[in-house]
Amino acid sequence: MPELARRFGGWYRKLGVPAPGSIQLRNVTAGYGGINVFSDLALDVRPGEFVYLVGPSGAGKSTLLKVLYGTVRPRRGSVFVDGVAVHRLHSWQTGKIRRRVGCIFQEFELLAHLTALENVLLPLQLAHPRIHDPQAYALDALELVGLKDKANEYPQTLSGGQQQRVAIARAIAHQPRILLADEPTGNVDSRTSSEIMELFHQLNELGGTVVMATHDEYVLSRFPARTIELQPGLLEAA
Amino acid sequence: MRFVPASTWAPRYVGSVVAYCWRCWRHRMMIWLATAVAVGAVLSLAVAAELFLVLASRSLAYQARTASEFQVFLSDGAQASQVSQLESQITDLPGVKSVSYRSKQQALAIARQDPTLARMAQYTQNNPFPASLVVQLADPAAASRVTAVAVKDPATDPQIPTSYTPGQGDKLSGFLSLARGLVVGIAVAALGVASLVAVVLLRSEIRARRPELRILVLVGTPRLVIRLPVLAEACSLAVAGSLLATLTLSAMGTRVVPVINSYLPFLQLGNPTNSMALLSVLTLASSVLTLGFCSLMVRLPR
Repeated sequence: MPELARRFGGWYRKLGVPAPGSIQLRNVTAGYGGINVFSDLALDVRPGEFVYLVGPSGAGKSTLLKVLYGTVRPRRGSVFVDGVAVHRLHSWQTGKIRRRVGCIFQEFELLAHLTALENVLLPLQLAHPRIHDPQAYALDALELVGLKDKANEYPQTLSGGQQQRVAIARAIAHQPRILLADEPTGNVDSRTSSEIMELFHQLNELGGTVVMATHDEYVLSRFPARTIELQPGLLEAA
Repeated sequence: MRFVPASTWAPRYVGSVVAYCWRCWRHRMMIWLATAVAVGAVLSLAVAAELFLVLASRSLAYQARTASEFQVFLSDGAQASQVSQLESQITDLPGVKSVSYRSKQQALAIARQDPTLARMAQYTQNNPFPASLVVQLADPAAASRVTAVAVKDPATDPQIPTSYTPGQGDKLSGFLSLARGLVVGIAVAALGVASLVAVVLLRSEIRARRPELRILVLVGTPRLVIRLPVLAEACSLAVAGSLLATLTLSAMGTRVVPVINSYLPFLQLGNPTNSMALLSVLTLASSVLTLGFCSLMVRLPR
């Protein structure tokens, strides 16, 4: 259905399929083992919107992002991300959604034995083989995050902020409509965190949807946007 | 964003995947080498044992074919009508392919050709070799039915009625089945051990590369592409191990088997060339399939 809907762009509303760049959750319950982290969660994010997921540790911010990019499969409910029914994906199909969105993680998740450029280029080569001249796209992404001059350096020679910017370059190199960021400013100083947030807002102004989990009060006050608060009290036995 | 047509990106993608496989593999070359030697040693032991079993089984099969020429010895005073009646009785038995009459003169002529009987045939005054009915059996085990008919017939020599006893025929038949079972058993056991060695390597590789694999999975790399280096490593181990086994097989076939044939001619191991080629191909195919399958069973992060 989403594929069909994509061909007939204006018909999304009639068909009831979320539009590209949007996120829709209905009655979603997810968790680990015998515990539900959240139950019956409903969420709508429109294309081009900037949304913060806030709440104390254990509230389910990271779990919600993992549900969105397919690492955690919801126990109940429906999840549509960029027109893809994520709740229907099996573990071997999760690449389908991850190739459509850009993911940024608190721990950067860079490959230590590859240079900054290779870290951005390898996913482009392996996951997006149809992109013309992937090296040019990788260099453009590094330029956008201000690290073109560090392209041939290894992650361990870069600062925490620079490593996070390489991770952002990797996430945006294939020009996704949606960026999912899990505490991207959690491991960097306040100056770097401002730079990263300015970058996210630039990407948002270019039309990208951004969903970012954070508990950084400084970020929330300096860069205000729609905020969705998750409560830890929602934890319950499955 | 600009895309390229499939005709252009497909070969470029293959190049990227091969480069990725090479990048993964080059850091583990020494571990790969040690595992290839271990797999090769296991397969070498197996093929060497199998070569001897195959040759021994072939030799036994030849002896069984010879043994399937079962003889019913006739008494010197047997009448032609009695012989003909016995011949038709034996022909009707299940497991009997054909029956023919061999006279005393024919038996003497054959004995002169046989290296173990030639001396006796040359120096004897009277022909000691009896006339017989030569029975072609489908299986040596069918000899018991022929013997049961023959011992009751007056035309049969009462002292030595047949060329071998039914018990000997059963033993020969059973030993042939055992030898064939051993060949299959050793092959399966060797593949099992080689697979275990390879699986240990593959699991250690997955463990060593788990952070990298997790990141590749997170950025949406197709799982088949992530599995390819592991699959390629398993297949390369199988090919390298089989190559070592083939070298061992070649040394056994060209050096050891001729020596055994010259020192122990009664074993009649014969020419091993065909068996060597067959065993090499079977080892390569089965090890590639088994190790390839094992590599696909190793779990990746979600």
